[in-house]
Amino acid sequence: MQPTQNVLIPEVIQQIPLTYYIIISTALFVIGIIGVLTRRNAIIIFMSIELMLNAVNLLLIAFSSYRSDSSGQVFVFFIMAVAAAEVSVGLAIIVMIYRNTRSIDVGLLNKLKW
Amino acid sequence: MFPIVLLSVFGILLLFLGFLKSRAILLPAALLFLLVSLAVNFIDWNKTYLYFNGMLLSDNLSMVFTAIVLGSAFMVVALSGSFMEDESAQPAEYYGILLFSLVGALMMIGFENLIMLFVGVEILSVAMYVLTGSDKRNLRSNEAALKYFLMGAFTTGIMLFGMALLYGATGSFTLGGIRAYAVNPQVGLSLLFYVGLLMLLIGLLFKVSAAPFHFWTPDVYDGAPTLFTAFMSTVVKTAGFAALFRLLSISFSGVYTFWWTILAIITTLTLVAGNITAVYQNSFKRMMAYSSISHAGYLLIGLAALGQQTKQAIVFYSLAYSVATIAAFGVLLLVARQRNAETITSGGSSSESFDAFNGLARQNPLLGFAMAVSMLSLAGIPLTAGFWGKFYMFSTAVERGQIWLLVVAVLMSAVGIYYYFRVIIAMYFREGATAPIRVAPFYRYVLVVATLLTIGLGIAPGLLEGLF
Amino acid sequence: MLTDFGIILLFILAAFAFIGIVLFVARLLRPNRPNEEKNSTYESGEEPVGNANIQFNIRYYVVALVFVLFDVELVFLFPWATVFGQVRLINETNGSWGWFALTEAFLFVGILGLGLAYVWAKGYLDWVKPQPKIPRVDTNVPADLYQRVNDKYSHSKP
Repeated sequence: MQPTQNVLIPEVIQQIPLTYYIIISTALFVIGIIGVLTRRNAIIIFMSIELMLNAVNLLLIAFSSYRSDSSGQVFVFFIMAVAAAEVSVGLAIIVMIYRNTRSIDVGLLNKLKW
Repeated sequence: MFPIVLLSVFGILLLFLGFLKSRAILLPAALLFLLVSLAVNFIDWNKTYLYFNGMLLSDNLSMVFTAIVLGSAFMVVALSGSFMEDESAQPAEYYGILLFSLVGALMMIGFENLIMLFVGVEILSVAMYVLTGSDKRNLRSNEAALKYFLMGAFTTGIMLFGMALLYGATGSFTLGGIRAYAVNPQVGLSLLFYVGLLMLLIGLLFKVSAAPFHFWTPDVYDGAPTLFTAFMSTVVKTAGFAALFRLLSISFSGVYTFWWTILAIITTLTLVAGNITAVYQNSFKRMMAYSSISHAGYLLIGLAALGQQTKQAIVFYSLAYSVATIAAFGVLLLVARQRNAETITSGGSSSESFDAFNGLARQNPLLGFAMAVSMLSLAGIPLTAGFWGKFYMFSTAVERGQIWLLVVAVLMSAVGIYYYFRVIIAMYFREGATAPIRVAPFYRYVLVVATLLTIGLGIAPGLLEGLF
Repeated sequence: MLTDFGIILLFILAAFAFIGIVLFVARLLRPNRPNEEKNSTYESGEEPVGNANIQFNIRYYVVALVFVLFDVELVFLFPWATVFGQVRLINETNGSWGWFALTEAFLFVGILGLGLAYVWAKGYLDWVKPQPKIPRVDTNVPADLYQRVNDKYSHSKP
């Protein structure tokens, strides 16, 4: 995909094609997904999710720079803030579970079955 | 816009009211705040405004959805009297978080920019993670919270990646900008656009628990405290469908041919998975979880067959479903508490099984009747609101000529009748040694209003038509 | 012709090469006489004790959470700062833009402050104090008997 020509894009940014950014953030995102699906430790799953979010941030910043449009960067601010809130709640839940079971292995959580 | 600002302020106020010695003021305060928000919602009636630099739209449709969400929240909060008796509960925080989560729901209803959609979804979800785990000592509640949190955060990531790709393809986060790109592609729609659309849809479909993204729902609904399950299955679902409808009808109506097959397949899967699995449940609460999945399927029909009637059908269905679900959970709360008090062995979920309802209608005609009406409405029996909800939904499918979707839906609602009637049979035809359950007056009003609303909308479904 | 990013790549390679060469030369020149003291971890002269992978005290946890939240929320002040002082906007609105932007920022920080006040008032910022358990012995001997015995025999002349 070519950026629109009429907007002025700094030359430094253009030296690395946009496709590379898409590839690297997709790779990061996929690593995150694999981490979520294969790990059993709640904290590591959590870190993988954060990796996914940061892949999104990278992608947004890249698009934003190539389009000389600041709204992508503003979105990144929102993602960062919301991710922090999510981290707090997530860690609180994990600590709560650790206090009750002395473990954060998600495999041990099997009280709810159909 | 006014309810959003007010609810944020009220939420903070409620948190600080929690410092008062007496807890008795909290419930009336929360109800009052919700009523005020509901009232100011209609200030802009029949006018269309864009608020916050074009971030939020306020029109009649969004106000109707807002009213449904706030009304459901009001009823759920009205059923929450039991917090006052529980020493370890923190009612001020629960109510505060509920109000904050409503802010998220309202943002999802009126968003005009994907940033607002994301922030709304997250406010709602994070609040729900907390409320799901609010029963801190209960392992089931803990487990539900962790599952909900991990799955929710995971799909948030997927949804965000979709938004980023859409931004890359269209260069805009606004609904209008995406629409302009989708209906008028200069060089053909790029791959980024399609992948982005799919990932965004997956994220939202997860939130409304459509198959195959529904696997978290039964566990979470089962583990969460019943009151918050009621909140989750009504408010979150209504807001999620309002968001999906806005997104699909405004931004992506130009590429209908691309997504409708996918959505139709998901709809079929959801209907089949929800209804068939619900048949095998022994716990009422878990049955309600699968029933909520199946109702997500019925609501999806309206989206897969997007047309003129979809708007009306979704509004009516959400309303009918919310009212009936809240009444059912309200009765379940009372029955489960009674059974827990009777049997000290409250380790399992036995207090929430179908057997708990045996002979309920003999001793408690009101509870039995409210439950029966809500079950009939969920099953879609005529003279209840649920029937007309299903009727409108099915007629959208007919309008679009999607007959096989209609066939699946009708077959599955026949399956649904089986498990909804199990409750009614247990209540009216089984023997059970139950003492009469004491129902607080306010609780009674909520159940009566819900029942009347269900029957009233069933007899005169045209009441709502003039609204939008 | 090197691009700007090519120079950065060269710089990275040079850094690795420099460290590699220096370590390699040092290995060739230095005498190799290890003993137990030398092989132990350098800890400012202290004796290293235990494993580095310890679990942190749970007391840090709430404070850390609150810190993370407030730390990250302030990211919103950066975009605000870029538009706050824009001369064009101030001139167009006869200066009222500045007051408007300032009020908005104070509103935002004020809400964060309310959150902090809530946490504070709830007592989550208080350091969790250890509660020492006073040992209790289940016995029929009254506690003051010991005291009397002590008093009686401690008065004897040394």
